[in-house]
Amino acid sequence: MAKQFKSLHPTKFYRDYLNQDIRPDGRLVSKFRPVIINIGSIATADGSALVRIGKTTVICGIKAELCPPKPEKPNEGFLICNVELPPLCSSKFRPGPPSDLAQITTRFVADLILNSGCINLKDLCIVKEKLVWCLYADIICLDHDGCIIDACLLVLLTALKTVRLPVVQYDAAIDKKTIDASVKKCLNIYNTPVSTTYAMFEDKIITDPTTEEEEISSGLLTVVVKDKELCSIHKPGGSPLSEEKLYECINETVNHADLLITLINTAVSECNDDNKNC
Amino acid sequence: MEVESNVNLSMREVNCKLGMFTRPDGSVFISQGETAVIVGIYGPIEVKPHKILINKASVETHYCPKSGMPGIADKLCESILHNVCEAALASALYPRSSIVIIIQEMQNCGGIIPCAINACCLALLNAGTDMKFLFASASCGLDDEGNFHLDPDDLFLETAAASFIFVFDSIGKGLIASHTSGSFNLAQYQSALELCKKAAEGIFDFYKSTIKKDLKDKI
Repeated sequence: MAKQFKSLHPTKFYRDYLNQDIRPDGRLVSKFRPVIINIGSIATADGSALVRIGKTTVICGIKAELCPPKPEKPNEGFLICNVELPPLCSSKFRPGPPSDLAQITTRFVADLILNSGCINLKDLCIVKEKLVWCLYADIICLDHDGCIIDACLLVLLTALKTVRLPVVQYDAAIDKKTIDASVKKCLNIYNTPVSTTYAMFEDKIITDPTTEEEEISSGLLTVVVKDKELCSIHKPGGSPLSEEKLYECINETVNHADLLITLINTAVSECNDDNKNC
Repeated sequence: MEVESNVNLSMREVNCKLGMFTRPDGSVFISQGETAVIVGIYGPIEVKPHKILINKASVETHYCPKSGMPGIADKLCESILHNVCEAALASALYPRSSIVIIIQEMQNCGGIIPCAINACCLALLNAGTDMKFLFASASCGLDDEGNFHLDPDDLFLETAAASFIFVFDSIGKGLIASHTSGSFNLAQYQSALELCKKAAEGIFDFYKSTIKKDLKDKI
């Protein structure tokens, strides 16, 4: 019976649950879903990770290539992010060119990496004006169940922390590159931005919403923090929100961020124990 | 929090012209400093079958950059405009129809998003589409010394430590949209919010005087 009621009156269904301060999946209104991080999921990539937030699953592989830098920025490398939302992950997406959501997420995640300064593109320079690293970070969503930005940011940061780049010798006179794959170096990650998403439903704020909750909500809010500093507060429209509620969400994110950062660091350190050549 | 006196607290000059096109139901040209946009509204009009919604109007937003196809940065801008307009429009009054909002960028000298949002609100007023509330947007930038600068232009934004864009509604002055870049702390965010809220009130007054003048001209 509940199933039929849910499909006929989804809003009423959720309202009845939320009035009892519980959600259909058994979580409290302000409870986060469990997060699972796996590292080195793709052996052929230079850095990779897989993240699950509840049922949302994203995988990220980072490929490093050598290329000449841009003339206007001769000592900076590149980090090119791309978020893919294939038709496999949700019925909302169709095959063909990237959907609007995929483009928006790509841009938002790329902006965040740039704004937070977690990676210095100058570290990717090998020889000024001649040779730099270009990192392609491909993030693919396998299961879309809400909070896609959170998952993408988490997986990208984790994958970046696992990147191992070989040492490259470059002889400019004869344009010869010698790659020493036996010595691999980590990338410097200066800080770890992490985000959490909230959905507004009538006068309630739902933490870490699933796709269903995102769809019935009247607006989303994504808060990104790094080292107790704010990195972005992104509310792309939706119903108006009072300032007190906004600040509550920010505080909640700051508290939750410690947990996520600990999780990333634990996963990365375990990986480092496995291959000591870092 | 007190804001230092050496802060630029004035907005760039805002000018607008209503109803300059005949085909759209509402149109506006708005310039904020050197930044300028044109917005046209069609609606409620017939909806394409695949976009039909049985309980409300579907809101379509098209952001056209000055030249070329919209890129992914334009898509982000478009999504904010879409969500803001969708929240404000009383779309339940027009089931099985669509409201089309076309935003044409004319010149971008910083602050294109706030300018486009304000233009959308004026154009919707000009079209006479039913809305739940009006909305106004203001932006501010933060320099390296921690001074705020209201309505920054592109020269300031190049060196700014952070920039903030806020959209407020006219009834409870609640926050509809927030978009930030750069890093900042909570106190700075709160000051920026207060500063922009004051500026947004000025924009609501501007709407009122513009519409008043427009109606007077018609009589």
